[in-house]
Amino acid sequence: MGSSSLLLLLATPLAGTLLVPLLPATFSSVRVRGFAALFGGLQLLVGLLCWQHPPADLQLSWLPKLGLRLDLGLDGLSLPLVLLTALITSLAILSAAADQSRPRLFFSLMLATNLGVVGGLLARNALLFLLAFELILIPITLLVAIWGGENRAGAAVRFLLYSAVSGLALLAAVLAFAWFNPGGPAFGFDDLHNAQIPPAAQRWILALLLLAFALKLPVVPLHGWQPFTYSQAPTPVVMLLAGSVSKLGAYGLLRFGVGFLPDTWAAWSPWIAAAGAISAVYGALNAIAQSDIRRLMAFSSLGHMGLLVLGLSAATPLSLQGAVAQMLAHGMIVALLFACVGLIERKTGTTAIPELSGLMNPLRGLPFTMGMLLLALMAAAGIPGLAGFPAELLVFEGSWTTFPRATLVSLIASGFTAVYAIRLFNRVGFGRLDNERADWSSTCWSERAPAMALTLLVIAAGLWPTALTGWSESESTRLALRSQPFLTGQVSTLADSGSHLVAVTFPSAAELRTS
Amino acid sequence: MTTPTATAPEPATAPLIPPSTHRYADVIHRLEAGGSMLPDTPENLMQIIGIYKAYAVPMDFYWRDLLYIAEQVFLDPLPAFKYFISQEYLDLPNSYAGDQSKLRIWRGGEKAHPELLEFMAKGEAGRMPKLLHHLWHDRINMEFAEACMEAMLWHQGMGGRFYDYLASDAYRANADRAIKAYFRGNPLMLGLYRLFPEMFMEQVKKMSYYANLGLFWEVMAPVFFEMSDIYDEGGFKGVPDAMNFLVNGIFAVAGRPIYHHVFIKGECFEIIPKSEGFTWLYEAALPYVEAVFYRTAPFRGTKSYNAQAYQVPADQADFHYGILYADVFPVGSAGIPPTLLMQDMLHFLPPYLEELYKQHKRGDEDKLIQLGITFQRSMYNVTSAVIQALRCALLYPLDDTDPEHLLANRRFFEAQMDRFLRPEARLPQIQTQDYR
Repeated sequence: MGSSSLLLLLATPLAGTLLVPLLPATFSSVRVRGFAALFGGLQLLVGLLCWQHPPADLQLSWLPKLGLRLDLGLDGLSLPLVLLTALITSLAILSAAADQSRPRLFFSLMLATNLGVVGGLLARNALLFLLAFELILIPITLLVAIWGGENRAGAAVRFLLYSAVSGLALLAAVLAFAWFNPGGPAFGFDDLHNAQIPPAAQRWILALLLLAFALKLPVVPLHGWQPFTYSQAPTPVVMLLAGSVSKLGAYGLLRFGVGFLPDTWAAWSPWIAAAGAISAVYGALNAIAQSDIRRLMAFSSLGHMGLLVLGLSAATPLSLQGAVAQMLAHGMIVALLFACVGLIERKTGTTAIPELSGLMNPLRGLPFTMGMLLLALMAAAGIPGLAGFPAELLVFEGSWTTFPRATLVSLIASGFTAVYAIRLFNRVGFGRLDNERADWSSTCWSERAPAMALTLLVIAAGLWPTALTGWSESESTRLALRSQPFLTGQVSTLADSGSHLVAVTFPSAAELRTS
Repeated sequence: MTTPTATAPEPATAPLIPPSTHRYADVIHRLEAGGSMLPDTPENLMQIIGIYKAYAVPMDFYWRDLLYIAEQVFLDPLPAFKYFISQEYLDLPNSYAGDQSKLRIWRGGEKAHPELLEFMAKGEAGRMPKLLHHLWHDRINMEFAEACMEAMLWHQGMGGRFYDYLASDAYRANADRAIKAYFRGNPLMLGLYRLFPEMFMEQVKKMSYYANLGLFWEVMAPVFFEMSDIYDEGGFKGVPDAMNFLVNGIFAVAGRPIYHHVFIKGECFEIIPKSEGFTWLYEAALPYVEAVFYRTAPFRGTKSYNAQAYQVPADQADFHYGILYADVFPVGSAGIPPTLLMQDMLHFLPPYLEELYKQHKRGDEDKLIQLGITFQRSMYNVTSAVIQALRCALLYPLDDTDPEHLLANRRFFEAQMDRFLRPEARLPQIQTQDYR
């Protein structure tokens, strides 16, 4: 398949962004929604074709004076995330209410967000990545500001501020890459990888990258925007934000941090692992204390991002594979969680846990939605057979040899997931259905469909974990900075093969002890 | 909550006593005017009569099977087939229906209702062996009837002499004879009886309550059938008419004997003979209303009650889990008695109620809850009939001109309404039509 498919991956959401607002006013919001989802679906289809027939990289000159080139490419790290983004965009659009207000602008902005995320994932040029990264800021801020909850203005401003800082930090990092490159300013990924940047400059750049991407993920203590935004943003926006946009932060850490600054990353990784473990515990404990489902989900997401960061910091083949799997699994799980929460909110009018009970009631509750929510919570808690388990297992297994303490702390935090999951379900699902409030209609199949699709995927990925891990197997092995005792042979073989992405291989803790 | 859709009729002349200041003053004034706790609206009338019909068909099975168990199954240690009622009991003539009845309440036949027989043959799943219908629960759920019986047995001591009689020497002697006759030739069971006589005696008492409830419902089934027929003919003009029919029915059959006979190898053992003089109103109807409508027990499956945390009252008289207090919303949970009753009634809903439920809430999806709330309304009407009957028997006519008598009636009504001051009571909800 030619490299034109890469352009198609970008052209589809771009066309949607431009065409959806032009739809005639006579189109009902349901038809607008369907039309917008079509673009997401097309993008997914093109993504699947790219999977079957990997396209060649595309290199087009754009603004040569600035060093901005349209360098696009797909590999084992970006392809699964592109597919995930296309899928979640489609399902998030379909999760919108049938009577969505100002649907043309709403769905257009959703597709613009998709354009930014996919642009970032396809970029093979740091400046292009930066452009795509910054592009996301505008539609999300507008989506929160216009369609958000009661405190939408505050949430939008907070998101804007945090994202602006994140964008500025990334801009500085990208420029620093160019300035400190002894070979002259260049932004291509290959150039960045081969650049011999001085160690002191590497440290500054990595600090900026960590700031930029840890704000996007987020990681404690840079998470201030997340619970507020997640609690105020419309459900489809949160699905996209939590399921896909935040993964761009993880992808950035992996691509730029682990990939381009391996020495500094390896040196700083104990601190990064500590931040991941703290995020995991902080997120889980805060989730237990929440009295609003959206905020609970937000902190839960924060905790799971901590696990992801732990996997990235260990940078062993398994942990990196686990981190990519965690991006995919968490993307699907958190989208499913918010799809269910959106249905609950649409029917009951609230997400306040004290105001909800008895939703498992078979006749007047929301048993189907609650069933899917239970499954999503189980997946988030890492129950075997669901998507969360293989991802977390790989992260823990991959990180254990490098950072046993941080892994142990994260394991305990993962156990807390079950605590808030059970607490939430016990309060909201069981107990007495409030006679005064329980006057809502049941969910119809079209409302359930997006969540059902995600549910099936979460189950399928649990039963067939290769769907999560297979994509990145070779890429994560090439990017690995450390070996693991039972994978040492494999890594050294690849390293010996002259792969330019294999970096320093440190002995593991066990190996150090035996020596 | 909307405003009540009906109020008590305005008296033509100035009232002889001042208005009540009770929280349920409106309801009390309505009762004093000869009305029911349930507001008099055409929809309420339609709902309660429709559900009486849907209730009466399974009830026709309940009373027959209760008597079958009390009289035939008796102490069978493995009563796996106690719900497989014999043809003899399906054909057992109802004492208040058919040509043979001395007091004919229902104009229909004396044998099991045709709709019941049709359902028993096919169920929901179609024709298949009876055992499969049973195991699939595609049948009349006798478990509900047994739960009601157990409520009466367990609460006991709610007035009347029936419970005291179960501890009498005469009863124990009769029960002893029946036990020995039932297990004649079975040394194992007779040996166990010797070792644990009270266990067997307790089982016989339980059988006596089976008989008690069976005889109670034998009356109620034709009453409800007749009410449904009268409504279909356009005979009832309002809820008070329906209530008065019940009041009249209560007085008409009040003296019906309550007894317990057991048939062992063709011989009849009179464990509670008719000659003891136990009557329908005092030994069955009133205890039933108290035990089932008011008290019952916290049903399993809907909520966990922790007795050690005082979530269950220590005094049985404080129990308030009956249909008048019930939260009908948990209906639909597997295996709990209210759900079983709602499922039984679901099979026999008249078309006008089917149509009504389709128009409200979730339509067909939550029909079980909607009919459960209809049932709650109808039982408030039955309780109103019982309250009016008690007032009639113990106090003064409603049109009495003596203010002292009217005040006595007022105190009685207020005392009855005090039982609904609990937050769980559904009396305020049934005053409006939007409680469905």
